[in-house]
Amino acid sequence: MQAEQLYDSIRTGLIAMLPRLMRFADILVGERRAGASLLGRALNRMLAEEHRYQRGTALDLWAFAEIYRLWLEERHDHSGTSSRPEAGGARFAILFRNAKGHPFDPVTTGFLRSLPPAQRLTLLLVYGERFDPIDAGRVLDVSGETISARLVRITGTFADRLSAGEERDAGAPREGMQ
Amino acid sequence: MTELSDELLVAYVDGQLGGKQSSAVEKVLAHDDVIARRVKALKKAHRRLEAAFEAILAGEEADAASHPIPPSPGLLIPWGTVIKGAFAAAGIVVAAVLFIAGLGLPLATPERNASGAADFDHVGSLARDWHEEVARAQALLGRASLEIGLDSQRNRDFIAFQLGRAIGAALAPPDLGAKGYRFTRAQILRFGDEPLAQLLYLGATGAPLALYAKKGGADAAPAAKRYGALAGVAWSQAGVAYFLAGEGDEASLLELAEAIRKVGPQAER
Repeated sequence: MQAEQLYDSIRTGLIAMLPRLMRFADILVGERRAGASLLGRALNRMLAEEHRYQRGTALDLWAFAEIYRLWLEERHDHSGTSSRPEAGGARFAILFRNAKGHPFDPVTTGFLRSLPPAQRLTLLLVYGERFDPIDAGRVLDVSGETISARLVRITGTFADRLSAGEERDAGAPREGMQ
Repeated sequence: MTELSDELLVAYVDGQLGGKQSSAVEKVLAHDDVIARRVKALKKAHRRLEAAFEAILAGEEADAASHPIPPSPGLLIPWGTVIKGAFAAAGIVVAAVLFIAGLGLPLATPERNASGAADFDHVGSLARDWHEEVARAQALLGRASLEIGLDSQRNRDFIAFQLGRAIGAALAPPDLGAKGYRFTRAQILRFGDEPLAQLLYLGATGAPLALYAKKGGADAAPAAKRYGALAGVAWSQAGVAYFLAGEGDEASLLELAEAIRKVGPQAER
């Protein structure tokens, strides 16, 4: 494949998966504006260095890994364009609003926001992207065992929190409808 | 009570266990309420997380679907424009974000346009924002834009004097009557801090033809370029940079540009 054709191919592929890439960046940094900024820089770099893309590699896996790698680098060197995460709860919750602007369940969004970025991405890649632990590990540069262990820990913790909330609700006095 | 680890139960909930292992877990669930409640809680957690991620994606896709971008940008649409359009589709275009992303500012700035770095070949294939378009036009207006009043537009010597004084170089409205265009009026615009002359002509039909001129630039031959529905020809001559823009095709504009070049900027003074 000629370089130009490869470029076009990557470019077209990236455009096709932009919503997924945006979701990945949003979840990583915790809010939309910083997520868009990070994704913009990552896309520029992917296209400028598309020769690093190896044919046969799943493009989504490569693109997710590139975004994550850039975020790590920027966080490491604390450059002026740092994609510092941890937006306020409101800005994080906005990520999950549906098309009508209705907020998503606050228990779930609050739990996700409390997680470190790599753990949020672990959940996204496995539960959102349906990656198996090995591929998710490739994106996040950890082993598949690490991904599996994270999943058990995080899902277990979230299940505990949901159960505790149900027990609290069950024990709380019922309020009237008004 | 049977002891089953969360590791096994999460794998069961996620559907990662083989048939025999799944059957074994289900047998335990059938007679162990504690494990059954745990599996129920894990399933609920799993569903909520899946739904949360689907909600984000649905929002992004809905935004993208409401502002589709071409799957293949082709030769005339630069990548930066496509990405910009994609961000616009997601409803998250803000000047700062695009600037940081290095993808161009929504509004033109003299520096970027002067360097050509943000000179998008085509914006017509993307959803147009009238505020943005108008703001671009507004940026060209200055106080001097009103100095050449309508009552003086017929006095071409006066116009030539005003234009020349404004841009700091000799400039007179070329006579394009032989080409079918009648001079109608002129005004002074600005490009950043630089004065920019605009001379408008009307043909038998269609939108006005505009000749822009500002001081500076080494001599350069006319070069045509298309901007969506418009075409433009740029050249420099005798210390003046020209840009002829209109709805015609590039060949017609090049022909007009050559006619203007032959006459030269001082011919009518």
